[in-house]
Amino acid sequence: MNKLLSADFAKLKVNKFFWLCTIGMFLFGIFMMTTHYIAMNQYHENAYITNVLFIYATAIAIIIPAFVSLFTGTEYSDGTMRNKLVIGHTRNHIYTSNLICCCAAGLIFCFSYIVGTLIIGIPLCGIQDGTLQGIVILILCSFAMSIAFTAFHTIISMTCQNKALAAVVNILISVFMLVISIYILNKLAQPETYESLNHDPDTGQIMSSGIVSNPDYLEGTIRSIYQFFNDFLPTGQAVNITQNGGLIQEPYLLAIYSSIIILASIVIGMLIFRKRDIK
Amino acid sequence: MDYILTAESLSKHYKHFKALDGFSIHVPRGAIYGFVGKNGAGKTTLIRLICGLQEPTSGNYTLYGTKNTQPEITKCRRKMGAVVETPSIYLNMTAEDNLKEQYRIIGLPSFDDIPNLLQLVGLENTGRKKVKHFSLGMKQRLGIAIALAGNPDLLILDEPVNGLDPQGIIEMRELILKLNQKRQITFLISSHILDELSRLATHYGFIDSGHMVKEISAEELEAACRKCLRIQVSDTNILSLVLDEMDIQYNILSENTADIFAKINISNLTLTLMNKGCEIISLTERGESLESFYLNLIGGGKTNE
Repeated sequence: MNKLLSADFAKLKVNKFFWLCTIGMFLFGIFMMTTHYIAMNQYHENAYITNVLFIYATAIAIIIPAFVSLFTGTEYSDGTMRNKLVIGHTRNHIYTSNLICCCAAGLIFCFSYIVGTLIIGIPLCGIQDGTLQGIVILILCSFAMSIAFTAFHTIISMTCQNKALAAVVNILISVFMLVISIYILNKLAQPETYESLNHDPDTGQIMSSGIVSNPDYLEGTIRSIYQFFNDFLPTGQAVNITQNGGLIQEPYLLAIYSSIIILASIVIGMLIFRKRDIK
Repeated sequence: MDYILTAESLSKHYKHFKALDGFSIHVPRGAIYGFVGKNGAGKTTLIRLICGLQEPTSGNYTLYGTKNTQPEITKCRRKMGAVVETPSIYLNMTAEDNLKEQYRIIGLPSFDDIPNLLQLVGLENTGRKKVKHFSLGMKQRLGIAIALAGNPDLLILDEPVNGLDPQGIIEMRELILKLNQKRQITFLISSHILDELSRLATHYGFIDSGHMVKEISAEELEAACRKCLRIQVSDTNILSLVLDEMDIQYNILSENTADIFAKINISNLTLTLMNKGCEIISLTERGESLESFYLNLIGGGKTNE
């Protein structure tokens, strides 16, 4: 296993896409923090690091599937997966080593963005009092989410021997899940009531006003189901973390859900990969 | 005989297609085993099974005396190398980086041996050139270098000369012979280029439709394919006396027919036999190439593809 990890990390070190994403995320962090500071200054408002610090959570929902597909797919397209099997490495070890390597890459992408944001943000804005603990908790949740996301996409990349197909499927699934998660978040964000105003059609004057219940507001079991998927789906977590926590219930729940996804993905992925005929 | 690889009743089915069906093979240690069969006969399937890329549907094989169902089979695989179909190499790396990556996978502590390995396969001058810019022959040789990285005792090559130019074929042949003779590496080479295989192989296995049709050593094959004169005479007893006197190898097939395994002076033989009262009825030259031997074995031009 150590041998495989050493080989996979050596391969990661010379992977162009990995460096492109790492540098890209770093520059993205700098760009977001700078533009946010300039914009806030124009409106004479205070700029806060937390307003842009977690944007990477949604960004990696697209980058991770692409990276995992390309990094793992190369093993199939170049045929080098065979070298590992021929000399007697077990499939479980190959799967785990690849997963660990991709997880590390995903975390490095997150970290690059955070570093980029902080090196501009701390000198310009500082960190608000009392927010540090919340920031650390959300960052840790985002790391768990990133690992869960990687584990999920590793299943497809390790079991589909066509690199291009695996990349397309992974990205499509990711985009589809993002759309679902944004939809869920919008449904959950609907206010319970809203103010209704009646105008005189001739004069335009307000005749009466009152609080009316919102028919789109989710209640009862339906709301619980939506809330569950909002917290459970890695893309749901990503969208919520991007919005400084959004509508998530408890951070520890995110960590539990991420752990469930990681474990389930590893078990399912390994079971399929062990039975797979490699060409 | 000491066998490095054996298989008995080995089967591999893909849904309803039987790629291997009750297959058996015996590869002696130190041999260059030519594995002959047409496209789709099951050659690559067997190689995939032995390399652990796929699991057999039924039956088993043994590698260095260890059955494929035993957990120790993974350790046995560390003593083998393979180039299955296309060379397994990272196209975006140099030859040296590819070897370093393989050394890490194997767990070899030092890269000191890499220049020697590159020299052995004739790739010592490739420098920083990426593998994607290599010719097919160079890729094949790098594939072999990677397979050789762990100092294997058994090297499995699937169609190693496919797509190579004549110079590349000669280089590949010389490399295989050098490794077999100097390092005592056993080779299992699958091919349907029979002429090339006949220059290398010490043993042959002929596969057709997932069955092993025949296993034969190169000597046995040579004897079976040896050019001879088939002679029909009135009395083979007299013929045998004459041939013994001339110290010529022969084989009596019936009362009137015999095969003579030598170049003879036909006028001399005819006169000698006539003097002893034996008539020559007919005389035909017979010979069989590996190609015709193979075609006879698997039933001529019949095809099930």
